[in-house]
Amino acid sequence: MINLSNLRFAWQKEAIIDISSLNVKKGQHLFIQGPSGSGKSTLLNLLGGVLTPQSGDIEILGQQLDELSASQKDSFRANHIGFIFQQFNLIPYLSVIDNITLPCTFSAPRKAKALKRSGSLEKEATRLLAALGLDDADLLKRSVNELSVGQQQRVAAARAMLGSPEIIIADEPTSALDNDHRQAFIKILFEECQKEEITLIFVSHDSTLKDNFTHQVNLQDINQVAIKETL
Amino acid sequence: MAILSLAFKSLLNRKLTFFITLFSIAISVTLLLGVQTLKTETNNSFLKSISGTDLIVGSRGASSQLLLSTVFHIGNTPNTIEYKTYKKLSEAPAVDWAVPISLGDSHKGYTVMGTDLSFYDHFSYANKQKLRVQSGSIDEDIFAIVIGSEVAKKLNYKIGDRVIVTHGGGEIEGHHHDNIPFYISAILAPSFTAIDQTLIVSLEAMAAMHTDNHDHFGALPGETILPSDHDGHAAHESHEDHDHEEHVAHESHEDHDHDDHAAHEAHDDHDHTAHSAHQDTQDQRVARLLKVKPEKINAVFIGLTSPQAILGMQSYINNFKEEPLSAIIPSIALQELWEFFSLAEVALNIVTVFVVLVGLLGMLSIILMSLNERRREMAILRSVGARPGHIFGLIIGEAGFVCLSGILLGVALLYILLAILQAPLAAHFGFYLDINMLTSYDLGILAIIQLSALVIALIPGWLIYKYSLSDGMSIKF
Repeated sequence: MINLSNLRFAWQKEAIIDISSLNVKKGQHLFIQGPSGSGKSTLLNLLGGVLTPQSGDIEILGQQLDELSASQKDSFRANHIGFIFQQFNLIPYLSVIDNITLPCTFSAPRKAKALKRSGSLEKEATRLLAALGLDDADLLKRSVNELSVGQQQRVAAARAMLGSPEIIIADEPTSALDNDHRQAFIKILFEECQKEEITLIFVSHDSTLKDNFTHQVNLQDINQVAIKETL
Repeated sequence: MAILSLAFKSLLNRKLTFFITLFSIAISVTLLLGVQTLKTETNNSFLKSISGTDLIVGSRGASSQLLLSTVFHIGNTPNTIEYKTYKKLSEAPAVDWAVPISLGDSHKGYTVMGTDLSFYDHFSYANKQKLRVQSGSIDEDIFAIVIGSEVAKKLNYKIGDRVIVTHGGGEIEGHHHDNIPFYISAILAPSFTAIDQTLIVSLEAMAAMHTDNHDHFGALPGETILPSDHDGHAAHESHEDHDHEEHVAHESHEDHDHDDHAAHEAHDDHDHTAHSAHQDTQDQRVARLLKVKPEKINAVFIGLTSPQAILGMQSYINNFKEEPLSAIIPSIALQELWEFFSLAEVALNIVTVFVVLVGLLGMLSIILMSLNERRREMAILRSVGARPGHIFGLIIGEAGFVCLSGILLGVALLYILLAILQAPLAAHFGFYLDINMLTSYDLGILAIIQLSALVIALIPGWLIYKYSLSDGMSIKF
């Protein structure tokens, strides 16, 4: 599903990522642990095709990313990967529904899949929100600023899932949540990813979360740059 | 399209700065177009002031002064030419027509011009339009007065009303020619030239008013000079807004026959339409009989038999032997005068261009300030698949949208302003503002403004493009 090999990336001559190998299988829920500064966000940007490695290969869904042009990478990302970030995931001037359906602006296949599933984007957004435990119909029309942080993260998850991308990459999605909400959010995320057969890559510095995952990787263990620095 | 709708929603999210930018651009556009419109319209009404007159002849002096005094009735006309010079010029073979012009008196601030009836046949303005009568009719009676539309409107005059002319510009108190009252025979239709603010009388009346010693006019044989009946006279005069004291100064000229006066009194109750009912004053009766032409006039309007004769005639007049004269060609003199004014116009243009520039720079600074807080927004958009080009387009689209709506609002403001100002400008300044469609020149200016906005937006666009490449999907704030 996702295969990294001999991946090296440096920013302004400073090596940040040096990973010899990382493989993620379809449907896997992988926990990548790494403190800030361990190259987490660089790795995510590499996976998203926003950054290009100096050497090495990234293969996602059988597609070598370096074979794609920058704009092809952008549409590849739009078509196949959903992202959830730490917080403030949402565009403040768009309503809840507009935020959730935002990927459809950039990805026709995801729009088509969402329409196929529920008939309309609004219905699909409502369905996803309900599945994520937000079944208040009024919510859709509301400004995202009126939502609690927990609600915002679930809206972000709904956006990542809309149009069934093959992969969801979540970057510290729970760090703004308190413990109860954190567990609830992870549980719901897991269930939905399972149901939709989505491969989940969950990145966090918080090692207490890793027990929820079947597969775990510590970025400090696989990133040669981090290993060298700790030595 | 989706990006434009995003740009639009993002703008609405920043309503306050959006509207401030919008209005600053709109106001600058209104100002710029307003100056253009004003320029075109003043130019038009300026150059339209006189047409069909080939030469204006006056005593030797500055041509601009001659033009200003005869066409615009601005400034004094101290210099005169002999009436017999006019007669001589009018007999020159190349001259088709010649109209004498005598200026120098006023009525309540409005210019009084003496001329003869041929003035109405030959004077034209704009596109060779002749003066039209709005009400009444042009009377050959020497004490008939024809008034411009604005004079009638401002002073609320009707046909038949009596008018007293003041000597000079009215600077000296009490110099009223009240020995020669006029009655209004015609009101002219608006021409949006100086004629609207002018009262036109006959040359003979002009001469009668300015004859050096009224006493010599004296009484006609068979008439007795009687002191006026004071009370009756006062009643009569009060109608004309006359100061009693002034009246006393002229009393000796107002020699009313008792019977006549009684008849006059009877008619004084506003039966002014029948001017024959007005009784002439002694001086008027004398003037009627003598029909004296003035010895001196101020200018002559000349039309030539052929345009080819203009230069020859001009040089003939400029070298006139009997007295020093100068002749100007109105169309050329108007153009020269306008070029003088256009200096101010250039300055005004420069100012308005800077106003527009300031408006656009305001927009630039507001977009630049918004960039930092919008880097998060850009990162989110990148994560859902937006290309750096989309992000760039978002900024350019925003600038384009703000500028376009600013321009549209500005144009709307301009027309609202023109519509509001049209009536008062015509009423108070005799300046008729024609409301036209935007010219292709105006549209060109607007296109340049819009284009400048897009070019200026390249700066924040390029910055955000760079940010979105380096930030990627990482939210740094």
